[in-house]
Amino acid sequence: MTSPLVVASPDEVGDVTFDRSMDAQIRGILKRYPNQDAALLPVLWLCQDRWGWISPGIMAAVGKRLDLAPAFVEGVATFYTMYQRRPPGKYLLQVCTTLSCQLCDTSVLVDHLKQKLDIDFGETSADGLFTLVDVQCLGACGEAPVIQINSDYHTDLTVEKLDALLERLAGQ
Amino acid sequence: MSDPILLRARGLKNSRSLSTYCRLGGYSALEKALSMTPAEVIEEVKASGIRGRGGAGFPAGVKWGFVPRDTAKPKYMICNADESEPGTFKDRELIVVDPHMVLEGIALASYAIGANTAYIYIRGEFVDEAQILGKAIAEARRKKYLGEDMLGSGYDLDVHIHRGAGAYICGEETALIESIEGKRGLPRLKPPFPAVVGLFGCPTVVNNVETLACVPHILERGGAWFAGIGTERSTGPKLFCVSGHVERPGVYEAPMGITFRKIIEDLCGGMRGGRKLKAFIPGGSSAPVLPADLIDTAADFESVAQAGSMLGSGGLIVMDETVDMVWALENLLAFYAHESCGQCTPCREGSDWAVDIVRRIHRGQGRQGDIETLHRIARFASQGMTICPLGDAFCGPISSFLEHFGHEFEEAISKASSMTAKALPILPVQSDRELFGL
Amino acid sequence: MVTLTIDGREITVAEGTNLVEAAAAAGVEVPTYCYHPGLTVVGQCRICFVEVEGMPRLVTACSTPVQPEMVVLTASKRVREARAAVMEFLLENHPLDCPVCDQAGECGLQDYSVEHGLDSTHMVDERRTNPGRERHLIGPHVVQNQNRCIHCTRCIRFTTEISETADLTMKSRGNHSYIDTFDGRPFDNPWSACAADVCPVGALTVNEFRFRARVWHLEETRTICPGCSIGCNVSLGHLNGVVHRFVPRENAEVNGWWMCDYGRFLAEPLNDRTIDVPLERFGDGERRISWDSALAEVARWLREAPKPLVIASANMSNEALFAVRRNLVEGARMDVIVPVSEGETRRIKNGRGAWFSSNDAHPNSTGARHLGLAVADAANLESYLRDGTGPVLVLDAHAHPWLASEGAAAISADRQVAVLARYRTPLVDAASMVMPLASWAETDGTYTSSTGRVQLAHKALQPVGQARRAWEVVFHLALELGIEQERAVTPRILFAEMAAEVGAFSGMTWGRLMAEPGMPVHEEVVGVG
Repeated sequence: MTSPLVVASPDEVGDVTFDRSMDAQIRGILKRYPNQDAALLPVLWLCQDRWGWISPGIMAAVGKRLDLAPAFVEGVATFYTMYQRRPPGKYLLQVCTTLSCQLCDTSVLVDHLKQKLDIDFGETSADGLFTLVDVQCLGACGEAPVIQINSDYHTDLTVEKLDALLERLAGQ
Repeated sequence: MSDPILLRARGLKNSRSLSTYCRLGGYSALEKALSMTPAEVIEEVKASGIRGRGGAGFPAGVKWGFVPRDTAKPKYMICNADESEPGTFKDRELIVVDPHMVLEGIALASYAIGANTAYIYIRGEFVDEAQILGKAIAEARRKKYLGEDMLGSGYDLDVHIHRGAGAYICGEETALIESIEGKRGLPRLKPPFPAVVGLFGCPTVVNNVETLACVPHILERGGAWFAGIGTERSTGPKLFCVSGHVERPGVYEAPMGITFRKIIEDLCGGMRGGRKLKAFIPGGSSAPVLPADLIDTAADFESVAQAGSMLGSGGLIVMDETVDMVWALENLLAFYAHESCGQCTPCREGSDWAVDIVRRIHRGQGRQGDIETLHRIARFASQGMTICPLGDAFCGPISSFLEHFGHEFEEAISKASSMTAKALPILPVQSDRELFGL
Repeated sequence: MVTLTIDGREITVAEGTNLVEAAAAAGVEVPTYCYHPGLTVVGQCRICFVEVEGMPRLVTACSTPVQPEMVVLTASKRVREARAAVMEFLLENHPLDCPVCDQAGECGLQDYSVEHGLDSTHMVDERRTNPGRERHLIGPHVVQNQNRCIHCTRCIRFTTEISETADLTMKSRGNHSYIDTFDGRPFDNPWSACAADVCPVGALTVNEFRFRARVWHLEETRTICPGCSIGCNVSLGHLNGVVHRFVPRENAEVNGWWMCDYGRFLAEPLNDRTIDVPLERFGDGERRISWDSALAEVARWLREAPKPLVIASANMSNEALFAVRRNLVEGARMDVIVPVSEGETRRIKNGRGAWFSSNDAHPNSTGARHLGLAVADAANLESYLRDGTGPVLVLDAHAHPWLASEGAAAISADRQVAVLARYRTPLVDAASMVMPLASWAETDGTYTSSTGRVQLAHKALQPVGQARRAWEVVFHLALELGIEQERAVTPRILFAEMAAEVGAFSGMTWGRLMAEPGMPVHEEVVGVG
């Protein structure tokens, strides 16, 4: 079952330094490339896996560690949609809205989610559990409709399955 | 083609494990290749006639041949596992079912071009799949199929996984290279081509997952054998991913040249709910749409091109009679507008403009001249006007949807409610003196 | 060298030249936005398409180097259609801001739209906007209107390649991408306003120039920045005697296409003037006096004193300093010193990517040295004044920061002090005689930079009120002192005489200085100073 995200509060990632464990992991990443700059995307992932999102404080720390200007780091982090720039809820519901899923009536799921959670795309439910985002083709079109929740693909969804899923997640 | 080749392990217990792979003959091609010269390996792949399965259809052996042999620079092999073209999901299938087949392909390609480092660029959303590959790499290293002194040959290869983070454009080889280098995924100007100036400025070859998965079979059973499958100019087995309005969507392996009718009716159980086929996109959303009456077109590069589309990635999206083609085009254009990197003017501006127009038509506010404007956009955001083919990727759908289903657009426009004059918003204008202390 | 044909004309250019520059050499202007000769090539705006015979697709001129025998067409039907389409794409989301946009009159979109664009648009949808970034003070000197941005990325490349501060970046992607700083922090580096210079449109504009004047009303005078000894080439934009802006002028050897913010905003103080008539101290206050009377009085003080002191200025032009040397040093045998002060370090990159740096706050210390005048720092200046008891002639009250201090003012307590000044300082308020000094913008003059170049600054403005130029005052004073003058002088005449007499300037002529971007000083004297 999908695990909840562990998300740091803005205060916790305001001024960031990397502890020994993070630093060791960064050094491991650096070994894979002849060029230090190439570690940027993997290090941003490392930070997001650790803190749940990428704050300006994290970007500054990454920039310092990899000798990259913080503005450059922010330019990269904002180009890629998967790096979260605001703290998400425990479950990031990434709903595919591209053609193949739409042909399998994903719009019904979308309307249902918006109404049930009382939020629009880009928003988090009042209880802080679910953040709803629309994403582009997830590459599992044969099992449409598809929603990626945190790291996991949930496929062949119907309203009933979705409701059951959300209930289980909320109960965790 | 009787037995599956690429998907031979599907359905087997522990299909992913190294022992299963070896039991089925895996890594014997690598052993054989390590006793050949790299040039001989390239010749075998050239003889197979295999064309890239990522969408461009460029002959892989020829691409490998572009890598200069007489350079001191290190060379890089990159496996493109970015798979973000709507309607495409075959690479994911291969990774999940048989990751070692992909790894062996990477090893063979690396050996052929003289690379000692390979990167698998995998889209960020494929978290499980990246872990599967990571595990397979570790397994392969333990058995010396990867790493130092592979199988005692003296050849070294390190394979690393580099995750993307949500950008379709990073499937374009130069944008992919930029992304590995730690930058925004902006495609590069070509020339120079990656085979000469690629990753970290060094000769680089980028190949699709499925292309690489074919290579062990080519080396094991011979290029001529591979060329005997499929058609004369589109050789080998192909994975077709079928989605949309069919009974059994999924990934199906068939020889190149099978007709779309056969794929839909025989492999996929026909149209969902017994409805009628209206349109199909043969090769991922960037391929021009084809009307139902072209269903007997053969699924190979030449035949599909002749029919006015592209085989592309083999991602077949099937639409039945209930589909509103204006709505469908809006959906596709929204995808491209979302994914445009923003570098060059025609794509950055044209993609957004086009989706705005089609959205407006779909909402009943179409105007005379909209179709002409869409044609104009399509003409000037393709065919070299842009830095990379993403321009062509959204212009193809515009032109083809208008060509085959233009009547739906015309109808929507003629039925449109008259444009009510919109009241201009009154913006609160703060005095500049206040803002700037003048 | 490579020979090729552009629009039917054969030309020969250096290998590696791109087609934009090659076309310029052939007298043809290929429109560009993202291309800038001082920045790397990105080939992304797509306006510079040209047709090359034998190539199936149009190519971007900026990213295509010349090849021998190439045949290039810059205005074929295909090219014109492609260009018009790119113009339409660029204008499709661009706001119709011309009536309120400072860039109007020197705007790349306006210029090329008229020549290469369509005369209307097919766009009837809503333009994308960037709420919150439409009148945004992105830094102290730069205003951003992201709606106008054409995403050429020149500003970003300026901050990475030229200022090396890497403070601007593109955020997000596609049509939503926008220019910003890290975490929205102020865009504040020593050359920030240059980002507004390179912006071809009004997306980045200079804050201090906002809404001041229409550029086509401005007169632009070619001059040299007085902010330090580097001598960046600038253009002074003025209208009806009011200075509105400085912008850099291209000079590959000195400042490339750039200038620093400090120098740029020395434009404003030129409009400040509080001394515009001669004044003499009278009792507790001061009263107006005529120039003739003032000069006669000052000349009398200088004649009667055994050891009068003269303080010249490293802000003065070569011609003015030469007039001082000839008349006051050689003619009247007076003690003349030129104060020099160290200022903040100023840096600029030239057109070849080399940094120049200067701690010298004056535009002409080098000129003073080449003319053999004695140079003094703050300590020496102070002791020079204190040690004397006679009258003091200060040719520029703003020659050194110390001169504006209370300490300097105290010296005039019991001595005859005559100063030339533009605005009030304690020294000016205490001086016995105050005469209005014209600013450097109110005279032609040459200045010798620390990079060893003599550069000509053209006069932009008429002297305000009764202000006179330093060389003019020295001339009139010399007459009062009874020093014979062969002829009436102008800066040009003084320069010719100086070039004949002083080794550093030998071989130079005013005419050549007008045509060429500065001239290097004579080899022999490069080491002086």
